[in-house]
Amino acid sequence: MGIAYLRTPMTRRRVTLARVLALGAALSLPATASAHDQSFSYADIEWRGARLAVTVTLHRDDAATLLGVAPASLLLADAVSGPTAERLARDVAARFSIRGDAEGLRFRFLGASTVPERNSVAFALEALPRRPLRSIAVESRLFTVATQHETFLKVYVDGRLTRQDVLTAGHPRVEVYRTDAAGAAAAFTRYVAAGMHHIFIGPDHILFIVGLILLGGGARRILGVVTAFTAAHSITLALAALGAFRPPASVVEPLIAISIVTIGWDNLRTRHGGRDWRAPIAFGFGLMHGFGFASVLGEVGLPREVLAWSLLGFNLGVEAGQVCIVLLIAPALGLLERQAPRLAARVVAAGSWGIIAAGGFWFVQRVSAGG
Amino acid sequence: MGSMTRPRITQSVHAALVGARSLVLVASVTVAAACLPPIAHAHEYWLAPSRYDGIPGAPVSIAAVAGTGFRGERKPWSPNHGVRFAVRATKVLDLSAAAAAGELEWVRFSPSDHGGALLAFESDFTPITLDPERFDRYLRDEGLNDALAVRLAASRRLGAAVPGRERYRRCAKAWLTGDIERRATVPFGLPFEIVPLVAPGSGSTLPIRVLAQGRPVAGVLVKAWRTRLEPSGMPTDPSARDSSVVCWRGTTDARGEAVLDVRTAGEWLVSAVTMVPSSDRAIADWESTWASLTFERR
Repeated sequence: MGIAYLRTPMTRRRVTLARVLALGAALSLPATASAHDQSFSYADIEWRGARLAVTVTLHRDDAATLLGVAPASLLLADAVSGPTAERLARDVAARFSIRGDAEGLRFRFLGASTVPERNSVAFALEALPRRPLRSIAVESRLFTVATQHETFLKVYVDGRLTRQDVLTAGHPRVEVYRTDAAGAAAAFTRYVAAGMHHIFIGPDHILFIVGLILLGGGARRILGVVTAFTAAHSITLALAALGAFRPPASVVEPLIAISIVTIGWDNLRTRHGGRDWRAPIAFGFGLMHGFGFASVLGEVGLPREVLAWSLLGFNLGVEAGQVCIVLLIAPALGLLERQAPRLAARVVAAGSWGIIAAGGFWFVQRVSAGG
Repeated sequence: MGSMTRPRITQSVHAALVGARSLVLVASVTVAAACLPPIAHAHEYWLAPSRYDGIPGAPVSIAAVAGTGFRGERKPWSPNHGVRFAVRATKVLDLSAAAAAGELEWVRFSPSDHGGALLAFESDFTPITLDPERFDRYLRDEGLNDALAVRLAASRRLGAAVPGRERYRRCAKAWLTGDIERRATVPFGLPFEIVPLVAPGSGSTLPIRVLAQGRPVAGVLVKAWRTRLEPSGMPTDPSARDSSVVCWRGTTDARGEAVLDVRTAGEWLVSAVTMVPSSDRAIADWESTWASLTFERR
């Protein structure tokens, strides 16, 4: 977060007065210490039109640790009167970032003040981007040394509390969207990309889809199989993302591996004249894959303020990824089937055994790792 | 006209005087800060209800305070670190769902009868490292003699003192006065717990039992502090009041019990701490659990 500083001329008398007031403040505060205390900060963001007003409030003990000031009560004195406040604001800015529509924002430091009831120092900053933002990404790494540090974040959009979150070392970043059409569109686009990305980086999902289309059988049949898979995982993805039902990963992940073994085995069986069970298999195990997608979505985070649009976007992204795989493989297999049927049969057999082996490996790996 | 421009020499003198005054003030802050009570190695942690009288329908604001000498500052609710936050009244209610992250007032709760209510909070572990001297002094102050003996033996063996790598957690309880004694006297099931054997505040003595994982613990140092109530009978602001000195100190007997003298009216804090070798040596060498019980005596 880049900062431009506004220097307010301060007369010496004001400086003296500020120090007198600070002395009073320092003396009136309890002499509690940081040992055996929580480490926390607050970030309040007012997002109104094109203006972003940010207040970062640090507990004096944390701020003192950051600056190497001892005793911490002295910090409040200096924070009110100027130079230390700027230095601290610069340190805070280096660790607390806000991006607007994926671009860095330039913030102006407005001033620092004490918050006696919280034993804290508050820094006021503002950004005035050239155009209204559709989304912001907030990242807090304020205290990397204090691994349990928490930043309590509140984002107000046009005066309404839109998002509340706790940023930690394990969850340092959050994206917030405007709730209007522009914000919904931004969330939709972002989550379509996330859904596609997940399909392309997930070899288990790719292999299951490949297993479903390996036998071919014409466009209509493939469409039916893929639709069954889509319908199933859409149901469970929505259920899990909305918090209605989410089985543990220790159950879901081994079952996804079993789905891969099953589709490989089914291909071998069908190839020798058995009935084609791909659509029911796609639906049944598709339910498990939906829970798998949801766990990834849980890691990405679903913005509650544009929940429907982001969930729809993620699901469509997953579909788009699937369609890409089908469009890439199905025509090639169809062509091979027409041009060299014996080779195609060998490819199906070898492919199915490969799928079974991969699925089996993942099953053992996931069971031994507890999911 | 003369006041508009000050001669250069006078300006310099004025600046020097202002600078000197500022220096004196900054020095005063330093001296004053140095004169304040020394920063403790250990902080008590307690639940601080806005009232203890447990009147049905009267809302009670619940906060948690960390500090020393029964004075301290309110700490925000953290869903990441709160393992359990509940109340036992007509039934046991989970309060954590109603607590808002970052708020200093954790929840508001209204008793529904005159039976009293027992609030309980358990946190997860927080790691901390203290320098050797400071850690050993803290062990000595808190009567954690077993841990101290192990550390001193290790220091002698290694030929150097080692820093105190500790992780700590909190188990705090507060009693809102009422006439159904068992709500207070039945253990809550916290990992380390001060269990009153009678309703706290109901008599001039308070027999207690200290439990660790449900079992009585002998030889635990128990301390108690008292602070006055407002004339209205409400507790005073824990961040604005004076520090209190320990007004009762004792050690649990073979049955894990102790009897506190609580004859003076006021708000009471009873605290105890246990320390055992850490079950996760990658994070800490020691793990402490701090138990507290707050109540009022009229």
